[in-house]
Amino acid sequence: MASSSRRPSRPALSLYLPKLLVLVLLAFSSAAVASASPAAAMHNNNWAVLVCTSRFWFNYRHMANTLSLYRTVKRLGIPDERIILMLADDMACNPRNSYPAQVFNNENHQLNLYGDNVEVDYRGYEVTVENFLRVLTGRHDSAVPRSKRLLSDEGSHILLYMTGHGGDEFLKFQDSEELQSHDLADAVKQMKEKHRWFAIIDSHLFSPVYLSDLKTDQYDLFLRQIGVSVVDRFTFYTLAFFEKLNMYSNASLSSLFNSYNPSMLLSTAYYRMDLYERPLTEVPVTNFFGSVMKTIHTDSAYTGFLAARGTTEISWMDRNSAGKTGGQEF
Amino acid sequence: MATPPTLSGRVLFLSFLLILSSTVASESAAVAEEEEFTEELLLRPLPDRKALAHFHFRSLASPSAAAGRHHHIFPKAISQLVQKFHISELELSFTQGRWNYEQWGGSDPMSTSNAKPPGVELWAVFDLPLSEIDATWKNLTHTLSGLFCASINFLESSTSFSAPQWGFKVNEGNLRYGALPREAVCTENLTPWLKLLPCRDKAGIASLLYRPSIYKGYYHSQKLKLRSSQALGIVLDQTLTVVLQPNTASGKQRHSTDGQLQPNWSIRHLFNNKLSGKCLVSKSSRIFLEIDKGIADKVSTSGTDDSWNNEFFVLSSSPDRVIEEVNDLKVQSSILYEYDVNIYSEEKSFDVGITWKLSLLWSCTPSPYHTSRFLMGSGNERGSIALSFLSTNLQKQISGSSDDCSIKAVIFQVVPWYVKVYYHSLEIFIDGNRKTISEVVDKIHVTPSEDKLLPGTLEMLLRFPCGMQSATLTLDFDKGFLHIDEYPPDANQGFDIPSALVSFPEFSSARSYPEIDSSFGSPLLEDFQEDGIVKSYTEVLLVPLTTPDFSMPYNVITFTCTVLALYFGSLLNALRRRIGEEERELKKAGKD
Repeated sequence: MASSSRRPSRPALSLYLPKLLVLVLLAFSSAAVASASPAAAMHNNNWAVLVCTSRFWFNYRHMANTLSLYRTVKRLGIPDERIILMLADDMACNPRNSYPAQVFNNENHQLNLYGDNVEVDYRGYEVTVENFLRVLTGRHDSAVPRSKRLLSDEGSHILLYMTGHGGDEFLKFQDSEELQSHDLADAVKQMKEKHRWFAIIDSHLFSPVYLSDLKTDQYDLFLRQIGVSVVDRFTFYTLAFFEKLNMYSNASLSSLFNSYNPSMLLSTAYYRMDLYERPLTEVPVTNFFGSVMKTIHTDSAYTGFLAARGTTEISWMDRNSAGKTGGQEF
Repeated sequence: MATPPTLSGRVLFLSFLLILSSTVASESAAVAEEEEFTEELLLRPLPDRKALAHFHFRSLASPSAAAGRHHHIFPKAISQLVQKFHISELELSFTQGRWNYEQWGGSDPMSTSNAKPPGVELWAVFDLPLSEIDATWKNLTHTLSGLFCASINFLESSTSFSAPQWGFKVNEGNLRYGALPREAVCTENLTPWLKLLPCRDKAGIASLLYRPSIYKGYYHSQKLKLRSSQALGIVLDQTLTVVLQPNTASGKQRHSTDGQLQPNWSIRHLFNNKLSGKCLVSKSSRIFLEIDKGIADKVSTSGTDDSWNNEFFVLSSSPDRVIEEVNDLKVQSSILYEYDVNIYSEEKSFDVGITWKLSLLWSCTPSPYHTSRFLMGSGNERGSIALSFLSTNLQKQISGSSDDCSIKAVIFQVVPWYVKVYYHSLEIFIDGNRKTISEVVDKIHVTPSEDKLLPGTLEMLLRFPCGMQSATLTLDFDKGFLHIDEYPPDANQGFDIPSALVSFPEFSSARSYPEIDSSFGSPLLEDFQEDGIVKSYTEVLLVPLTTPDFSMPYNVITFTCTVLALYFGSLLNALRRRIGEEERELKKAGKD
């Protein structure tokens, strides 16, 4: 079990070739999870960790990438308190931005990604490898408020999206630190042992600028007034796919993956699912990119609060209350 | 419970409902009395063709309401914060841009209490034993960072906050002060701030806060001020001060012989929106348009009947009330035009604007001295900080000059530990002549910095002669070295020294409005009448420190490895490789 949990992200990242965008679906079979903790064999909540690791204005597109995903998951039902948004720099109110307090991902400026209601949990110098791993593993200083913690449990689906500069087996944070694939694998394993997730979908978007021959492949040159490229093709087309959907859509993960057209992306998106048992055609995208809950009809009054760990619902509550070590009740 | 009374049709039930609803109503009325909310907006044209807008929201929880767990309109997050951390006073400001003390005024309540240093500034007074304060401060910074989506938690480390004794605010050692000059300020900070208002930005004056126009401004400062005591309950003041450039394309541009006309503006021009009614739970909802003394003097001499429609300007709608300020010499100075938002609604939206008829030149009242701070020296080893004062001759205007009078000035400055200030090197020049310290400095309190532990704090009370035109203070410093892990990712940009605060305790920024009394119930004007001393913040300094070449270790490793590989490769090649034997092998292979 332990060794199997270590493996998933290692090959996943090593699969990555600099030219490619890698979309990794890594998850345990539900049977394996059920054997670990029978109470939580069911998916019952969604979390998203969205990270933009690049500082500096010319990395505008990385922030737009992250905010595109933020907008999507929020629109599809994950509330702000379950989204950990990490932005390494301030682009919206950057003095170089000629559209203050707005971030766009297309040249028509139709969609203001920053909106009026964005909640950034970690920003600026706070976006470090240390903080990122702390969020994943849940090992915080007791003073850290709840809004900065990933309070997931064994029923959680976690969407992990990272964008930044990187290469084979590493991702740069703020141009000064690196997150290596085995660090991430260790963190995921630790999360597994702490029952912090049920399934994780993990997407990395690396822009290998150090390879000059590949430079143009990654960029969308929407240059106009912003003066820098505003979004990566991968995220642009992912967002285009999601903009057609609403919370009640039944689109499956495979339809998302099939929508990635290499000639449009100018690169090839890969996904792997050898660790996930359900066929992708049956898994709705809202299982990961949104939060659509099943309502369970009960004939009598809900007694879950009295019975200890009666249903998965309770175990989620327990964990939440156990998680607030700092007592920051905001 | 939810059965409609029309269905039941019973008189008894109806009367029961009636009694129930009336008790509920009276209860909610009682709660409403305990908690109050007022919203106000002040608009003012500025001499440099800009417009100032100052939003003021006050939420008040009376002592009985503050102690409870449930709140009607007062934000629960704030009352929990006050109770948990035993705060008696707190001020948190997010600012972008710098207040222009020369153009926008230096001694009115706006500049002394709403002009803030760039970035984040936080200070708090705790009602706790002194030994517990540092730990509470740390928890407070974390909580605020979660609440306001900012990295305020960087103020938790002892290197970033200080405990001023009297230079910032007189206290008994229970005040902590910290500033983050480089913190970005954007919508994510405004959103949680707005969520503390009962109507958020959905109704009332806060609905004018159109993000792109606010953040396009020259200056914006978002502030949260808390006061709490047994007698007072909790008073939460939320203010937002913005300086905007009115959209000149919409106003007529006229060039006349005596200068350029001020741009015409209205609420709709500034905020892209008209005001459609008040926030329904607010006790009062007012908009003020203020005309500076410089204009008011000219208007009163021109002798027109309506002060809002004269030969210089006209307001687009007639004010509900005109409030005149009277200064120390019992002379009318600035004028406030008050509009009550109560009578406006969705159907009848409110807009007020100013249209200029003649071009006017006026200036705002400056502070007694313009202060500025700059760096001297070059190189990466040492430098010096200079603080300069330039007289604005305000003292002469007010009381005439006499030779033996003096003006007090208090300087409060926090310097990070890696800028190692030598306090003994303090030099003071008055009008170009060097003075001894004892001639000028009345009182000084220095907390020297400790490496990686404490920032240096300087509190100084100076006494300048009245006739002085300029003064300069210099302090030498050495630049320290940081550990490689302590450098921020953009270390090459330099390091910030937070703004210094200079206050003039003998000058008051208070205004007096004899026409209004406490029953008027305007927190904004109450704040204006409060006796505040004239303060100004100096510039943030950017110190370039020696930064190591962060990629050097990698370079060294790769270079050394290459050399070693070349050396050992060729050596082994020369020693071990037998070319003759290889050729024989090849020939043999060729024959086969």
